[in-house]
Order: sequence, then structure tokens, then C-alpha cells
Amino acid sequence: MRVLRKAPRSVSEEFDAEGACLSLTPRVSRVLLPLAAFCLRLSLFLFGTSFNFADEPFRPEPGKFPSLEKAHSYRGELVFVDHANRRGSIRVQGDGKFYRNDPHPFAMLPYGIVRYHGAPAELRDLPLGTVMHVRAFLPPDPKLSAVPVLPVNNKEKDVGHYRGTGIFPAENHVLLLEDEPSYCLREGLVWKLLEVRIRNNVGKIIASREPKAGGDGNSTAEELTFDAATRIWRGRERIRVADLVTEEAWPASGKKDLGGQVVLLGITWKPAPGDGLSGAFTQFHISDIWLDDDAIQDAAHFQTETHKTFTRSRWMPASVDAVKYETFGRATVTATLFGGMDDSLYNDFQKGIAAQINGSENTLKHAAGHYGPSHMASSGKILDVTKAAGEIPLGSSGIRIRFETDLIIEGIRPGRVVRIRPESWPKMQIPREEYLFNNSPEDRFPTPDIFPKY
Amino acid sequence: MLRNRKMTQLNSTCWAATLYLGMALLAGTTNAEGEPFRPVAGKFPPLEEALSYRGELVFVDHANRRGSIRVQGVGMYFRNAPHPFAMLPYGIVRYHGAPADLRDIPLGTVLHVRGFLPPDPKISAVPVLPVNNKMKNSGYSGTGIFPAENHVLLLEDEPSHCQREGKVWKLKEVDLKNNQGMIVASRELKEGEDGKASEETMTFDAATRIWRGRERLSVTDLIVEGIWPASGKKSLDGQSVLLGVTWKPTPDGVFTRFHISDIWLDDTAMQRAAQNQTETHKALIRSRWMPAWIDAVEYGRFGSAIVTATLFGGMDESLYTDFKKDVSAMMNGVENTLKHAGGNYGPEHMASRGGILAVTKTDGKVPLGSSGIQIRFETDLITEGIRPGRVVRVRPGNGNWPHVRLPREEFVGDGSNLEARFPTPAIFPKY
Repeated sequence: MRVLRKAPRSVSEEFDAEGACLSLTPRVSRVLLPLAAFCLRLSLFLFGTSFNFADEPFRPEPGKFPSLEKAHSYRGELVFVDHANRRGSIRVQGDGKFYRNDPHPFAMLPYGIVRYHGAPAELRDLPLGTVMHVRAFLPPDPKLSAVPVLPVNNKEKDVGHYRGTGIFPAENHVLLLEDEPSYCLREGLVWKLLEVRIRNNVGKIIASREPKAGGDGNSTAEELTFDAATRIWRGRERIRVADLVTEEAWPASGKKDLGGQVVLLGITWKPAPGDGLSGAFTQFHISDIWLDDDAIQDAAHFQTETHKTFTRSRWMPASVDAVKYETFGRATVTATLFGGMDDSLYNDFQKGIAAQINGSENTLKHAAGHYGPSHMASSGKILDVTKAAGEIPLGSSGIRIRFETDLIIEGIRPGRVVRIRPESWPKMQIPREEYLFNNSPEDRFPTPDIFPKY
Repeated sequence: MLRNRKMTQLNSTCWAATLYLGMALLAGTTNAEGEPFRPVAGKFPPLEEALSYRGELVFVDHANRRGSIRVQGVGMYFRNAPHPFAMLPYGIVRYHGAPADLRDIPLGTVLHVRGFLPPDPKISAVPVLPVNNKMKNSGYSGTGIFPAENHVLLLEDEPSHCQREGKVWKLKEVDLKNNQGMIVASRELKEGEDGKASEETMTFDAATRIWRGRERLSVTDLIVEGIWPASGKKSLDGQSVLLGVTWKPTPDGVFTRFHISDIWLDDTAMQRAAQNQTETHKALIRSRWMPAWIDAVEYGRFGSAIVTATLFGGMDESLYTDFKKDVSAMMNGVENTLKHAGGNYGPEHMASRGGILAVTKTDGKVPLGSSGIQIRFETDLITEGIRPGRVVRVRPGNGNWPHVRLPREEFVGDGSNLEARFPTPAIFPKY
């Protein structure tokens, strides 16, 4: 996706501006230049190099779902996951030697969406090694960032050591994190297999990612590896490379033209052979091949059911749009349900049913200690449910509820994140790492200290 | 007088320091039976000395071969804080009945653990706890959930555990509604009577994967085929299966009820799962090289030496068969985390090269952690990391062991960052 916002002015442009002052008289230069340089550096420091006053870089704001078009787009290998704090690290694909790229920390926005196998997911569902497509923003509030805050133009920096540019983007607050099949399904793309080269159940596939409905002429063929562990899905069967060889769909050894066979691919990364001076440094690996629609729908079914159960037990996340306070703790809360869930979950929010609501952290953690969500929640009733017309921004479901309670609590304020349970969902205790206790600031606002400095 | 007072102060300080050091070193050590067992460098500890426990995998730091497990105790399971563990250098991970790496195990999987006290508490990558910590009562969580035995020799998922112990799950009854429900089953010896077996009730749901031969079925498929009822109970007559077990929060005030993620209905299904995992792990080991440790080094002249090393255990046999007499080989010193120690330059760039002079297989019982295979390797460039008791990685010139550059998190940089060599427990949250 194109990045629509104008690129901020580069640091070199700023320093060119500083250089322009050199035409001043020597005396003025001696006094003013250091001052100007100091002011410039101070402004760079204060604004985290968001120095372009005319065109302030875009940051998401509380209470507003940012437009996907304003997100920075990149992809890379999932290397580390801290699912309880909805963050992790990705080895971002740049233009250098991929293996050298340090894992790059990221945090999910509260309304950030994870997709796996074409279905809603959580970070805990993603196997390490999976190559993910990322749409991300600058930290909404750098002071509270759970991952390192970087200069806003960091994606343009050549970080040296053969790693090239683009591998440490400052846009590390993620709106959309999706694996390869999810990305292809959303964008209407497929992989067309052009050729297989195989020996001892290991080899390479030449393939190109193209629009499902006809080629657009923009795709280029890519060489990907596979091996004896690659899973091949056909209907409800899971087969292996050896099975395709036995069935003579693929040769036991040598090349075969696959004629543009349409599939979906799961992509991971493994180090590719090379001696450091030559070799394929950024070659991706095929973990899965879905040969037909039934196969990918089957995969999506399992992931959808996993996520439905998860969301029912942790409750639907939402953000509070407004609170209308009444007497004796009574209030009416208007909240927008976050997006990206299976529709059947939204269907459980019906006018007139009983419900519960709890304040939660930006990490979506339960904020009220050992006592489970249902014990601590504001109970009440859903007064009405409305669906926004028109285009719904990613992150939002477009579904708004009005909820009346006789016990409004601190965590339920405009702009805050909450979790909501319609009465048909189970009441459960949640595991220790998913709730706060004793209100330690580190629990509420995880610091980036967990991430190694390479 | 002043001098005496100073001496007294010094003596008191020394006494306090000695006491503190003693307490720290012993960390609450001795019990009635005497000194607690700790693994020693150069010796594979007997499995029988390990503490056995099980729990849900909650966190993984695969690059440092450590993570956290929610250990099953006698109390409210959800309250149990994740308990950090570190794999011993020769520690073995098994998943789906096959060799595995921590990165292969999905979060949420319930694992069986055999752990020891830290071999060297000073460099433990996870918190060091009082040796009797497993007996401590942690309030509503009960006892046994924070064992000091957090250095792991064997970490295995449910089907791996069952296969190693010759056990299966016998399904007694299913109770179903809306594609979810509960199964009553018992883990029993595959052959013969098992007096220890007791029935357990576990949940399953529409996301539970049911494996039959090459097929992956859902609960709905079993209902459509008339094998399970759409609603209600059915006796399953002790049907033998293997189960994948996870944990999810449970409603109705039940605090420790496990969940079935997978059911393998037949041997073919289980073998196919194992084959996939085996191939994944073979590819990993070929690219990262076989871990081993050094038993002895006979130093020659001008940097030459003959190194005797024991290959670590738990790998697929086909990997060991690549180690043959007279084939060329490479060897590198690595950290206890099995990280490459030679920086951006890849393993083959930094390795000591040479040839394998002999390969011997130990007779008799081989302790877990060891392969029982010892190689004698001759090199003309012995390096610092290759010393008795140290861990190395070895690449045979035989077979398809590719030369690759390792990803950044799997090697130590220029060695100046002590934290990279000896990861501290600081990464783990204090609950």
C-alpha cells in the first residue's frame, strides 16, 4: 500500500539549513550559530526528530481509528512474542542481508488486528518464524510506548553492517499484522506456481504473487525454498512433498513446469546457504501450500473457532466514545466495538440483553487483579446497538452500543479501552499474566527494557 | 580503642558478609537427605534425579533457550504466575513425538518437565530459588508451582510423553453440545493393566483438531459421520488415542481443567505428525550444527590438537549417521545457550577445521542428554572455546549440512556485551 503522507524533511535538509547561516558576519555567527545549532538539536530531541513543523508526522489519537492509508507498510519474520503485553519483534525485510537484521520490536495498538490463516487471531496463535505483513504507525503517545521510540524518519536510515535501509521503522505500533495467506485473501491475490526444482524432497519453487482474477503485469517471479517438512493441504488432507512425488504430481528429482498452478502459500524464513560474500540472503521459505479453496477454508475455520473461544473468555474490546453521568453512580456509556472479529461474536450484542463492562489497559489486560472480570465489572443492559453506514476504518467494527449501568467506574471514561461481555458469554477467571495486580506502573505501562540491545 | 572498634566493625561486617555469602551460595540448600543434587559440567545427570512437573507453556525466548511455564499445583491454576525455566545445554525438547526446538512449540501447550537445580547459580538465566521452593505454599495457588528445579533436561508435550512411557489415552465418554463439550479419559499403559491410571475430564471445542491418517477433521466432521452425537453423551468404550493437551480458562469455578487441542485417532496420523516435526528439526540442526561437549583435548604442536567430544542426544538418527570416520568436519565453541560465539562471521568462517578420526558408540545405558556417540576430531587450529567441559557445535562434511549465516539473535556479537553471553533473569516479570 502506498504511504500517502508526505515524507518529513530529512535530517540532511535540516543541516543544510544550518549551513545556510554561514553567510552571516563572523561575530553574529560566533554568537548565533552555536545558539541556532543548540536550538535545532533541542528541537530534534524534544520532537524525537519530528522536526517538520509544517507537516507534523501522523500519529494515531485516542478515540479515533487511524486510516489504513496513513500506515507504513513492511514485512518480516516474527522472532519474539510477549503475548500478554501484545508486543513482539519482527526481523524486517530491507534491502540488505536479512540474517543480519536485529529483531525489531513492535506493539499492537489496542484496536490492532492480527490475522492468521485468513482468520482473526492473537499473537499467541502465530508460530515463531512466520513472515508477517505489517501496517503500522508512530507511537500514539511516545511516553507510554511499550517498545523503543525511534526518530520518525528511521525507516530512511541506512543502518550499516550490510543491513541496508528500512529495517528499523519508527512506525512500530501495529494496526494490522497478517500472515501471507491472510494478506493474499484480503488483497485478492494468489500465488501462481511456475516451476518446481526438487531433489531428496527438498528444493525450490518459482512463483509469483498475482491478482486472483487475471495477472496485472506487475508481478515478478520469486524463488522460494521448501523442504520435507513443508505441509501441503488438499481439502481436509495434510500431505507432504513425498506424497506429491508418490502421486507423480511432482518429480522425485529435477525440474517441472507447474503451469501457473494457483495456490496460497504460508511463508517463513530460514537462513539460506551462502558464504557471507555470495548467497541468497533474503530467500523466504514455504511452510505451507494450500492447494484448493476447501483447504484454506478449513484452516480458517480452525483459527476462527480458536479466536472465538478466546474472545468470549476475555470479552470484546472496545473504546468508550461518551459517558452520560446520572445520579447515584448510574450512567449510560456509548462504546465502539473493536473490529476484526468473527461476525458471530458481534451478533451476540443485541438490544435489551444484559451485559458487563470493565476498564482495561492499552495492552487489553484486565486491570482489577485476582478477582476475575465478571466479579469486578459494571453490570447493566445494552440499550441499543447501531451499525455505522459507509466505510468502516480498520480497527473498528463500526458497531456502537449504548450500555446502561448503575455502577459507573473509573476505567470507563471517553477514550479509554474497555472489555464487554454480553450475557451469553461464559464467566471465567483469566491467567495471571493477563491481569494487573498491586498496580505496579511497569505492569500497567510495560517498558521496552525486555528487548535486547544488539 | 578506635582501631579495636574498627576491627570489631570489620569483623562484624566480614561475619555478616560471610553469612550472607553462605546463605546465598547454599540458597537454603541442605535437606534431611544431605546436599541437593546439581548437574555438573561434563556429566549428564541421571533422569531419576530430576524433579518432574507439568504445566502450560506461557512464554518463550527461544534464542536463549528459556521460557516460562504455568506449573500445575494443587490450587487455583489461573493464579499461578508463569515460572521461568532454562534448557540445559543438552536439554531435549520433544513435540509430537519428535525432536524439537522451543520455537516449534505453540504457546498454551501443556508440557511435561524434568528439571534440575541450576548447575551454576551465578550464571543462571532464570531466577535462582531456594532449593526447597517446591514445598512452599503459594497461597491459593498451593504448593509446587515454583520449583527451584528450573534447569530442564527433558521438555515434552503430551503425545511425546505418552509414547516415551508406552502410554495412550483411553476415551471413556464424550458429552457434546454445539460442537464443544467434555471428554472423560484416562492415561494408561498401551499394553496391559495400569493400576495408576485415573480418569480425567477435559474440554474440547470446535477448534480441536482430530487427525485420522492424512486427514485433519473437526468435531463437526465426526458428528456428520455419525461417530459422535450432535448433542448429549456417548460411551467411547476406552477407544485408544493420543491427545494434545493445552490449557484455557475454565468456567463454572473449575480451576484446573485441561483442554484437548488435538486427537490422533490412529498410528498413521501420529507418525505423520512426528515425521513433519522430525524434518523441521533436522533442517534446524543441519543449519545450526550438532551440539556436543568436549570430553578431552590432546594438544599437539603449532595449534594442532585432537579433541574428544560427546554429541548431545535426542536428535533424529539420520543426523548421527552423518558422523563417520575419516569425513571432514568443523567445530566451534558455543555458549551454554548454544548460541554461536563468533559474531557476524558465520560458524563456518570461524570454525576449527579438521577430520573425524574415530566415532564410537557407548555400550549400555546412555543417559538422557547424551547420544552416547563420541567422536575424535583432529584440527590444526584449536581455539579458546574448545576446552574440556565446554559446549561446541560440530558440522560433519558428510551429508547435506549447509553453510548458512545465523540470524542476529542466535549469535553473540563481539563478546563485549556480557548480557549476550550470560542472559540475566531480568527479562522475566515479577508478579
